[in-house]
Amino acid sequence: MSRNESQWTQRPTLPMSHYADPAIYYDENIFAEEQEKIFSKVWQLAIHESEIPQPYDYRTYQHPAGREVVIVRGEDKRIRTFYNICPHRGNLLVYEPSGNAKKLVCIFHQWAFNGKGECVDIPRDKNGYQDRVCKNDVGLKEVRTEVGYGGFVWINVDDNCDSLSSHIGGALDYMLPELEAEPLQTLWYYQARLKTNFKLIHDTNSEFYHDYLHYHNRVTGMLDPKSGYFQRKYTAFPNGHASVGSMEVKYDAYKGGGHSELGWPELPPQGWKLVDLFPCITFNLRTSVLRIDSYIPLGPKDVLLEFRALGLKSDTAETRAQREKDAATIWSPFGRNLHEDLLASSGQGVAMTAHSDPMYVLQAREEDLTIHDEIGMRHYLQEWSKRMGRSSADPYAKSAQAKMA
Amino acid sequence: MNANREDIEELIYDSCMALDQSDYDAYMDLCSPDFSYKLSAYSPEVKQEMTWLDHNRDEIEHLFHTLPKHNSDRNPLTRNAVVYRVKVDENHKRADVVSSFQIFKTALNGGHSELFAVGKYFDTVSLEGGKPALVNRHVKLDTRDLGWGYHVPF
Ligand code: FES
Ligand SMILES: [Fe+2]
Repeated sequence: MSRNESQWTQRPTLPMSHYADPAIYYDENIFAEEQEKIFSKVWQLAIHESEIPQPYDYRTYQHPAGREVVIVRGEDKRIRTFYNICPHRGNLLVYEPSGNAKKLVCIFHQWAFNGKGECVDIPRDKNGYQDRVCKNDVGLKEVRTEVGYGGFVWINVDDNCDSLSSHIGGALDYMLPELEAEPLQTLWYYQARLKTNFKLIHDTNSEFYHDYLHYHNRVTGMLDPKSGYFQRKYTAFPNGHASVGSMEVKYDAYKGGGHSELGWPELPPQGWKLVDLFPCITFNLRTSVLRIDSYIPLGPKDVLLEFRALGLKSDTAETRAQREKDAATIWSPFGRNLHEDLLASSGQGVAMTAHSDPMYVLQAREEDLTIHDEIGMRHYLQEWSKRMGRSSADPYAKSAQAKMA
Repeated sequence: MNANREDIEELIYDSCMALDQSDYDAYMDLCSPDFSYKLSAYSPEVKQEMTWLDHNRDEIEHLFHTLPKHNSDRNPLTRNAVVYRVKVDENHKRADVVSSFQIFKTALNGGHSELFAVGKYFDTVSLEGGKPALVNRHVKLDTRDLGWGYHVPF
């Protein structure tokens, strides 16, 4: 039976944990609050250390709280992060996404900074400033930085945040043997800018019911009773993270796939491990490649996706080529699965807007925490609600329950 | 056959038209039995050459055949190539061909066209048979942000 307007916009007769108000996917004010209450507080995966292997190497990063930063490996090999802004008159300090420089020198008036963020040169300083402004007082703004969980560089713009390990907790434990078996190497880095909400894209990594979208995953998993597909279980961790248990992927069932026997140290053959970290990071390890997604939301309907594929530092040219081939079948901008995921979450972005009169969004499947259970999304939104101080099912506190509370 | 720049250019343009029209049989007809295809892009961010497609003839045919089973962006592409350089090796009956391309995407709904990607084709062409044939195509993309991506090779 089709529905009239009041039926269409009625709250589902489900617990509030099992559906979301669509406004959380498009509202400007909610997004501004997410920047303040979530992105200005959480650890964000910025780069991998293999991207700045040598002293003086640097990489820039656009932090989702709105800050431009530059990540530098110092002379002492330590990795530090600074705001990418010159303390003199606010020029961008570093223009290119990567490079190597003994000193970061601002092009505008040539103030210079070392890898510790100290100002080491101000042209004609005494002539102009006498002793009123000195190098010691005009260092760069440093950002909390930690390296870990496979050599990733994590940053947090909150000076008073807890440690990275207290944020991650045990969420990555089950992938740690694979992440730490050998030093890793970034093979691919590419971006995709999409007009949708970052949470909708993270959702596609947090639920597997949508394997109906993927021909590849159906034939290599869901349709094969021996694969263990329906036995895969979700584990929810504190702080909004969740992992998905492994299975045995039947890559041969997809003709023309580039999958090889190469595999990954410590990962069972044909295994597949996946961990979703709050608020928008995914570790996805299958075939012979580690895929890392990290999203940079720029607006409620505007997100910059960052995709990485990693192999091992010790790879020969041939091994690396095979890893890339394994990854390309399902991922890369031409991959079978990634394109399908991004089509679906972009379609949600088109369909659910402030004026399109969208209904409440269901996250209500319960299947004993197995693969088509939607616990991953529910668990995520529980953390979201906690940090935002409002229910994701009722962000404007309209419901009777909220009024009474 | 005698190397004729016009015939070689026509091969490159025919390959674009075949893919534009989703005529994969016509595309494969332009390729030699030992055809190989590679698509890569260089990331200045991480200073790595990234190979996003790497196929022999069989694999690329499989890819074409499985396309209808997938959910894909069906907005059609228009490949606009210009042959920049043809270097013929008469002894080996081969030619190295460099072409620049721009690819436009036209929306099925409304017909708006926009630039989707730019790059170059580095082709090796066999001049052994009655007509030139593609032996090897290496697509080097300058564009790396391809939005939600695309299933059909460039
Ligand atoms: S703004 Fe950087 S030196 Fe003046
Ligand atoms: Fe997916």
